[in-house]
Amino acid sequence: MSLNRNPNTPDFSKFASEFKNNIKILAVVLGVVFIILFATSSFYTVEPDEEAVVIRLGKFVQTNPPGLHFKLPLGIDRVVKVQTKRVLQEEFGFRTTSVSSRRSTYDQGSFDAESLMLTGDLNVADVEWVVQYQISDPFKFLFQTSDPITNVRDVTESIMRRVVGDRTVNEVLTTGRREIAIQARDLVQEVLDRYDIGINIVTVKLQDVNPPDMVKPSFNEVNEAKQEQEKVINQAERAYNQIIPEAKGKAEQMITQAEGRALEIINRAQGDIAKFSAVLREYRKAPDITRSRLYLETMEEVFSKLDNIYVVDPNIKGVLPMYNSLIQDRKE
Amino acid sequence: MNIKVITGVLVVAGLLLAKASMFIVTEGNQAIITEFGAPVGEPISSSGLYFKTPFIQEIRYVDKRILNWDGYPSEIPTKDKKYIKVDTTARWRIVDVLKFIQTVRNEIGAKARLDAILDATTRDIISNNNLVEAVRNSNAILDKIEEAKKAAEELKKRGEIAIEEEIIGEVEKIELGREKLSELIVVEADKELIKFGIKLIDVQLRRISYEKSVEKKVYERMISERQKVAQKIKSIGLGERSKIEGRTQRELKQIESESYRTAQTILGKADAESTALFARALSNGKDFYEFQRSLEAYRKTFSNKIKLLISNESSFLKYLNKPK
Repeated sequence: MSLNRNPNTPDFSKFASEFKNNIKILAVVLGVVFIILFATSSFYTVEPDEEAVVIRLGKFVQTNPPGLHFKLPLGIDRVVKVQTKRVLQEEFGFRTTSVSSRRSTYDQGSFDAESLMLTGDLNVADVEWVVQYQISDPFKFLFQTSDPITNVRDVTESIMRRVVGDRTVNEVLTTGRREIAIQARDLVQEVLDRYDIGINIVTVKLQDVNPPDMVKPSFNEVNEAKQEQEKVINQAERAYNQIIPEAKGKAEQMITQAEGRALEIINRAQGDIAKFSAVLREYRKAPDITRSRLYLETMEEVFSKLDNIYVVDPNIKGVLPMYNSLIQDRKE
Repeated sequence: MNIKVITGVLVVAGLLLAKASMFIVTEGNQAIITEFGAPVGEPISSSGLYFKTPFIQEIRYVDKRILNWDGYPSEIPTKDKKYIKVDTTARWRIVDVLKFIQTVRNEIGAKARLDAILDATTRDIISNNNLVEAVRNSNAILDKIEEAKKAAEELKKRGEIAIEEEIIGEVEKIELGREKLSELIVVEADKELIKFGIKLIDVQLRRISYEKSVEKKVYERMISERQKVAQKIKSIGLGERSKIEGRTQRELKQIESESYRTAQTILGKADAESTALFARALSNGKDFYEFQRSLEAYRKTFSNKIKLLISNESSFLKYLNKPK
């Protein structure tokens, strides 16, 4: 170093003046670069779905809303942007791999360990669900826990098992869905609030809830049995609906016919009586001769119909043989 | 010139000194100052800019946030001899920086202790309780079953079809429940962890599942029970059908017999009325009626097939023998 700094050499003065010039240029360049760096590191924008947490010398200062903001440069202010407006989602028991095509695709892998859980009656149900949440406090979200998403997942899995664990397998598979989702949401929120994690659970939604694969066919059997039961009952009711109205119709018919018959009986009786009364009136005027006339007329008519009439004289004996032959005739 | 160089050196030295005597504790961290390895003063738990003696003192940082511990799923037999796989997670935080650094140095060291202590405590608590205690949290399920039974009875009383979905599996009363077990684990583990400056926030029984061979048996039980329920549903259907068929027959007989009764009553009344009419009308001409009606009967009953023996003393023939 000392060799080059020999003050008496003319080279040095030349070098010194060049050096001075260079330093000036360097200073200007450095100054410009510095100003550019200073300017660019002094501003930042916050997107509409974000909020920005400002940390000054390690200490939290404030949270800034969307827009253009100023900050102290050179690493004095550090800004962390957090998507607070977004509704984020965690999936349990399945994974969506893509939602870009018209139909979402799902990971074909098995997440049984996540979705299989014990019910209160010590059976097993396969429950798939999602949790939707929002970051309600970006500062707490960043600095309250080391891994907030893992916490959400762990707590949700645990709570879902607790909620399902207090129900029978039937309730879980059928009527309990809504109640389970609501209760799970509230309990998860309660636990996360205890951590003061800065997350707001928007909703817990149950997706597919099934019996385990191996058991599925027997659950279907129950459904089939229900249908069969309905079918059998419907058939019986159909028969009822067929038989009873017809019988009622027939019964009505029988009664109306009886009523008709009753009218007939009475009308005939009245007719007969009217006729009889009329004849009687005339008969009373000349009973003997009318009686004889009617008798003879009738006998004439009756006897003329007969092919054989035998006149018998009871005073004469020996009629018997003829009578016998008569009887024999009839037998033939 | 020399002065310039000296000032330059001094400025640089001053900057270095300043840098060495200042430090920042960022949000989510806490720190402790050590002097040749020995801790000095109270740990710093709030964030910001701090000063220290340069070059002599050093800063050790540890996390202030809630940290996660993820346990390895372990197979544990419960008190009622059921083999289950228990997967737990815990949240913890460093509450005593000095103790923490002295006993476990860092989070990796802490994890090893947490593994050992939490695994053992979980084993103790789970194996000292029945399986249901780890599955259910309350006895609400018992009330629900009771309610369902009552509802089914109500339905039966009203004569409607009630398929009692019998409770399959085992539902026994619980003493503690999941949350209590978790709390017990926390209390027990905390007693030991405090030595390491660690405090547990909670332990979550994240997953509890049957061990594979048990799982198969449970599935088999579920299947047979479902089949039983299916059979029951079917036979209830058949029973209902018989009921409806019985009702059909009863109503049919009722309708038929009632209509017969009504018809006969109507006819009887008509007959009675006609009889009364005849009796009243005929009593005036009893002799003539008998005579006339007999004649009419003869006319109707006699036909050519009849062979008639008639006495010659018959009044019809009275003129045959004696013309006078």
